[in-house]
Amino acid sequence: MMTCRSFREKLQPGTSEPELLDHLRHCDACLDFAMSVDPDLFFRSIGGEEVVPPGGVDAFVGDVMSQVRVRQAETSLAPHRTVSVWQRLAIAATVAAAVTGATLAYRFEHRPVTHPASAMSVAATTPAAHFAPTATKSFVETYSSHDATIVEMPNDGSDTKVVMIFDDKLPADL
Amino acid sequence: MIPTNDSPEPDDRQLVEQVRHGDEGAFETLVRRKTSKVYGLCYRVIGNSEDAKDISQLVFIKLWENIEKYDAQYAFDTWLYRMVTNVAIDFMRNKHSRDNAVNSTLRLVKTSVDPEQTVTVQRKEVEAVFNAVSDVLSPKQKTIFVMSEMEDLRSSEIAKILGCQESTVRNHLFNARKVMQQQLKRRFPEYARLWEESR
Repeated sequence: MMTCRSFREKLQPGTSEPELLDHLRHCDACLDFAMSVDPDLFFRSIGGEEVVPPGGVDAFVGDVMSQVRVRQAETSLAPHRTVSVWQRLAIAATVAAAVTGATLAYRFEHRPVTHPASAMSVAATTPAAHFAPTATKSFVETYSSHDATIVEMPNDGSDTKVVMIFDDKLPADL
Repeated sequence: MIPTNDSPEPDDRQLVEQVRHGDEGAFETLVRRKTSKVYGLCYRVIGNSEDAKDISQLVFIKLWENIEKYDAQYAFDTWLYRMVTNVAIDFMRNKHSRDNAVNSTLRLVKTSVDPEQTVTVQRKEVEAVFNAVSDVLSPKQKTIFVMSEMEDLRSSEIAKILGCQESTVRNHLFNARKVMQQQLKRRFPEYARLWEESR
């Protein structure tokens, strides 16, 4: 460190010379003199020195490192708990497909069914050739009864054959 | 083979590189190396050792979490100081709104001293006076004042740290000095005389 004599000789207002500032910050004897030369050095006199956190540097570093380890442990667990974007998209697509499927199934189950009685009344008033086929699969392959009235609809050239059976003895849930 | 112990200490950038590769020991070395700087700045800006310790630790945790973002073309200290100032200024802003009422009663007031009496400047007292009068500065002003007057950083360095113009730093410094002198005159007239005598 420079001597007090040298400090007092060299000190100029507005100095930022590290050597002079170092002397200012460590020599109580020169503090008053420095203030008389440049009052702006008033607050500069308390800077520069090494400041140690309470408890010392070792304890401080130890605290920081233990917190870092805690954070590290948290982040290493984090990926197991989070779901990636692709996984989220896959889940969303599955849910959407399930909802759509359920809706279609519900609609299919609850679609309007043509009532036989109304079919008959329609058959009585409308030309048979105008009937559109309502099923692609024959429900009845063979039928034998003494009381039934069987009406075969005229074929319009397609493979579909429509036959109407009127029989009081037929079970209601056929 | 006997290991030689003449390998030079790795510099900050090398340590950062090692930390990025998962070297916890390198991070510990970095924390140890920078503790005094980080804590010192926090302590002077915040003015309270316990809060300064908590804030410094928070800075190092942030450093650990954001180490990937450091761009090695800039000085490590500039980047670190930016982190310190951001965290400290945020803390001061929150604290200021919390403690406003309390501070007004705790401020050191020494108006009973005869302004004509000669004073011998004591370093410990200067610290107490600084903590009392710097309360009126905004967190940013105080940070700039501390970095310039106590950490001996140049205006250009402070501007880099805060990401602003050098002229902005100089303006803040000019205003901070003016406000501090007014406060000294009002609350510590025995010290304010130093400025009057030097004219």
